[in-house]
Amino acid sequence: MSNVENILAHPVRETVVPAPRPKITAEGAGVRFGSVTAVEDFTTTIREREFVSIIGPSGCGKSTMLYAIAGFLKTTSGVLKVDGEPIVKPGPNRGIVFQEFVLFPWRTVLRNITLGPEIAGLPRAEAEERARKWIRLTGLGGFEDAYPATLSGGMKQRVAIARALTCEPDILLLDEPFGALDVQTKNYVMKDLQDLWIAASKTILMVTHSVQEATLMADRVLILGARPSRIVADVKIDLPHPRDPADPRLGQYRQEVTAILSAEVDRSMKIERSR
Amino acid sequence: MPPGFRLFDRVIVVVQFLLPILGLLLFWELAVRTGLAQASILPAPSTILARAVELLGLTGERAVLFGHIGASLKRALLAFALAVAVGVPLGFLLGLSREAQLWVSPILSLMLPLPAVAWTPILLVVFGPGDLTIVIVCFLGAVFPVLYSTMQGVRACGTQPVWVVRSMGGSRLDVLRRVLIPASLPALITGFKLGMAHSWRTLVAAEMLAALSSGLGYMIFSARSYMDVSTMFVGVVCLAAIGMAIEHLLFGTLERATIHRWYVRDAGTGGRQ
Repeated sequence: MSNVENILAHPVRETVVPAPRPKITAEGAGVRFGSVTAVEDFTTTIREREFVSIIGPSGCGKSTMLYAIAGFLKTTSGVLKVDGEPIVKPGPNRGIVFQEFVLFPWRTVLRNITLGPEIAGLPRAEAEERARKWIRLTGLGGFEDAYPATLSGGMKQRVAIARALTCEPDILLLDEPFGALDVQTKNYVMKDLQDLWIAASKTILMVTHSVQEATLMADRVLILGARPSRIVADVKIDLPHPRDPADPRLGQYRQEVTAILSAEVDRSMKIERSR
Repeated sequence: MPPGFRLFDRVIVVVQFLLPILGLLLFWELAVRTGLAQASILPAPSTILARAVELLGLTGERAVLFGHIGASLKRALLAFALAVAVGVPLGFLLGLSREAQLWVSPILSLMLPLPAVAWTPILLVVFGPGDLTIVIVCFLGAVFPVLYSTMQGVRACGTQPVWVVRSMGGSRLDVLRRVLIPASLPALITGFKLGMAHSWRTLVAAEMLAALSSGLGYMIFSARSYMDVSTMFVGVVCLAAIGMAIEHLLFGTLERATIHRWYVRDAGTGGRQ
């Protein structure tokens, strides 16, 4: 996208700052639904401006953890903090993007994106001003007055991303954001998201089941094990951004993550069969 | 598309809609004229039209038809408004609270299959014949479809849209105003349509049993004493035409202004995108 290239020409950061402040801290955090333990003993620290991906076999509770950090679900054990404060409810410092976009069909693209500032009580003009910046950066210019029903999947996901970013959150939580997109669209949106992340300097936590997505985009990949799930590996992807999908070093990381993940999937299959 | 062309398109649609009706009327007229049907039981459309002209006061007789239509419309619309005032808030409550739903839904499933007209004799004992009884019966007919549709609309909304607004720091009121109400609007409109249709249908029976001197139902029923079949048919035609006009003009306009703009119907799946 050419509009993002402008920002790329003036990157905010060239190299990773040595040790940014911890943004999200989890100490033995767990979520249980009745007698079912979705996640347990989730312990990690996500630093400011870090891009962390959570990956795991399906049904491993990775989205559950993301929702707990968003404040939609309550943890049943351990501690979960943002900026040193325990998470008690959702807040505008944490933006969310869902797999199925979850746009509001009765609002135009512009009105979907201005929703956050509207709720924050900003005057309409100021809300639109803020929205326009992200409309431009996500390549949605010209679609402001369209209703979501008329957009393609990729465009819808851009609206969802712009909507989350217009609230100017410190943290962006992505729940399988490319899961509902076709391969071509996915590659475009993925590239844009990387560029946006570099330009916007946000902390991003992304849940995915795709090794390729996780290794291409994240600084760190947390691998969750089978139910009851906990972190089985924390792989640091030590490559500069933006990354080239054809980079052979990336291929090695992919193999490494795939190997750990396959072992976990095998284990979970065995558990399921022995039941 | 140029506006002139659009108008032309609409004219075509209207003509296409009216053509089968005109065909039926023509067949009916011919059937009576050729003696295929007995005119004393099934009067020809032309006879009914002549009677309608008389009842409208165009021939110097007393213009009674407007009075009957007005009385009926007033009762049905009042009952519908009450049904909306009760059914929508209650529907939201039941759609949102599992607790409330557990307590109220058994009672609702008992009330739902009951035809509202069945209450008429009981209400006649309590309130006597008149507007109050008729409006209550129509209300009972209209409230359940409104309530059920609202409940379903609220439930179908799902958690993620609510989460989106909550993650923006939205309050409970924001969730209601910006998510639940607009999200359940398609279901609400369906409920309104059904509610109004039920109100209108129940009205006729209620008026036959409980009206003192006015209403289309009363007009039809009292014409029976004089074997005045033409007047009965005028009443029936009025009921059908007014019911259709409400559905198309009132709710059709509401739909075009809202859900038809928001959702593009996918021709392939028939579903909403």
